[in-house]
Amino acid sequence: MITLEFYDPSGRLEARQPHAPRLDGLAGKRIGFVSNEQWQAFRMLPLLKVLLERDFAGIEVLPVNTFPQGNALIGNEETAQEVKRSGVDAVIIGNAA
Amino acid sequence: MKNAVSGLGLAPDAAMVTFPIEMFLPGSDITPVEARKAEFYERLTRWKSEFAADGNGGSPLVSARGATFEDALTRANDLILARQWGDGLPIWPATRERVEWILAGTPLPREHALGTFPPRGGVATVEICAIALAMAGGRPEYLPVLVAAVEAFLDPAAGSEQLQAASGSAFPVVIVNGPIGQQIRLNSGFGCLGPDPQRPAGASIGRALRLLQQNVGGARPGVGTMANYGGLRYTNVVFAEDEENLPTGWPPHGTERHGFAPGTNSISLAFANGATNIRRRGAKKETPEEDALQGMHRMADFMRVPNLAGLAGYEHGTPGILMIPGVVAQTMVGLGWTKASIREFLWEHSRIPAEHLRRAGGYAWIEIDASKVTRESAALDPWPITSAPDNFILIVAGGGHPTNSYWLQGYSPGVIGREIRLPGDFARLVAAAEQDLYGAEGGRGG
Repeated sequence: MITLEFYDPSGRLEARQPHAPRLDGLAGKRIGFVSNEQWQAFRMLPLLKVLLERDFAGIEVLPVNTFPQGNALIGNEETAQEVKRSGVDAVIIGNAA
Repeated sequence: MKNAVSGLGLAPDAAMVTFPIEMFLPGSDITPVEARKAEFYERLTRWKSEFAADGNGGSPLVSARGATFEDALTRANDLILARQWGDGLPIWPATRERVEWILAGTPLPREHALGTFPPRGGVATVEICAIALAMAGGRPEYLPVLVAAVEAFLDPAAGSEQLQAASGSAFPVVIVNGPIGQQIRLNSGFGCLGPDPQRPAGASIGRALRLLQQNVGGARPGVGTMANYGGLRYTNVVFAEDEENLPTGWPPHGTERHGFAPGTNSISLAFANGATNIRRRGAKKETPEEDALQGMHRMADFMRVPNLAGLAGYEHGTPGILMIPGVVAQTMVGLGWTKASIREFLWEHSRIPAEHLRRAGGYAWIEIDASKVTRESAALDPWPITSAPDNFILIVAGGGHPTNSYWLQGYSPGVIGREIRLPGDFARLVAAAEQDLYGAEGGRGG
């Protein structure tokens, strides 16, 4: 028998930062949206707002236009700081193309 | 999605819920989303990553067994396709011996990291470049060009983070300047976009880059890359400028665009998503002046289309790469044209009337662009397809015949240059290649 040994070409992965910590629950929390302002986000994010506000007591889901929107703005540091200053417990990022 | 997550440096096992809806289109019924809301809520609260890093070692080995060498090679190719590491064409399995041989082509240590490949975020080491080049049928003397191309590809200004995953079918174009082009037999003349059995370097280097995009970067069709069509992606585009036939006074592209000293081995990388031949020569008894002018109009007219590919590089990139043969460049210089006047003509005559832009919905795309310069260009009528004439890349390449020019439609936020680093014994590698590839049959064309 002939054995051909060869390298896996996919390369290694490094996790350089942890995922955002999870919330202990959604009831009573204040949630924001950061949207890239394309049509998918305009449909999906309002639906999530309706579902979350119906299913969790005391939750506040901010309107989709609370924070800067659009591909040019949602990834920059100013937007991140604005989200932090707002005091929301978490943000849901709606990004599609 | 996992690619996108790991590409940001996060663990790749993202919290994920697939909603049970058909293709998400404007007007789609999205109410079925509610059926999976409990899972969605769970991922927002209790989910934890279980990713364990691959560690810092080199690439693992896999094996294929067969009764004969041919059988083992066939099984290896089957395995490579089953693991989604191939491109559908036969591949050289990257054995230890082959990879060690190719690594002789760089002065860099094999573990040296050039960056991370988007969108998946795999680490692009010199070793993984050699593995890809081995699979692509490459040789050690090609490795310096591939390494430089990977460095340019991963420069954030190149835009690869977006273009790797985007639907626009972008492919990298690598233009090589300096003596290395001839030394490794990169084509710059007839059929320079390939294939060419006498000058196979461009195909191997470009194929290796594509395999890196796919395997390290995770850009698999419909998963890591949403390219609708994906044209020219088997080998990308890798060729040399025809420096021997540059008109007097025309600097090599690497010098003009990136400031490298003439004679420097360098690459220039841009992205394109279209490629077409443009008929340049006249058909009857045009005077040389008429012939040149008509050819310029045909090229500019072809560029004057409101498909907005050039928006990606409107400010800092390029609307495209125009390739003209040396004989054409020299004739035009003899008629009084300069590189600057050619670019100026193309810029002026490819401007799009506002009415045409409006009816094609162009303004909506311009208005949402991230670049202020691009957004402000909406006030111009006719609208220039790029912010400045110098953004056009003008390359002398192609066979010595005046009939055609070639346009690689730019889709390129940046144009990135890199110097090519050679190992100390590069001349020995080139001599070995001449012997291996052409010695037995009497040399080039034998």
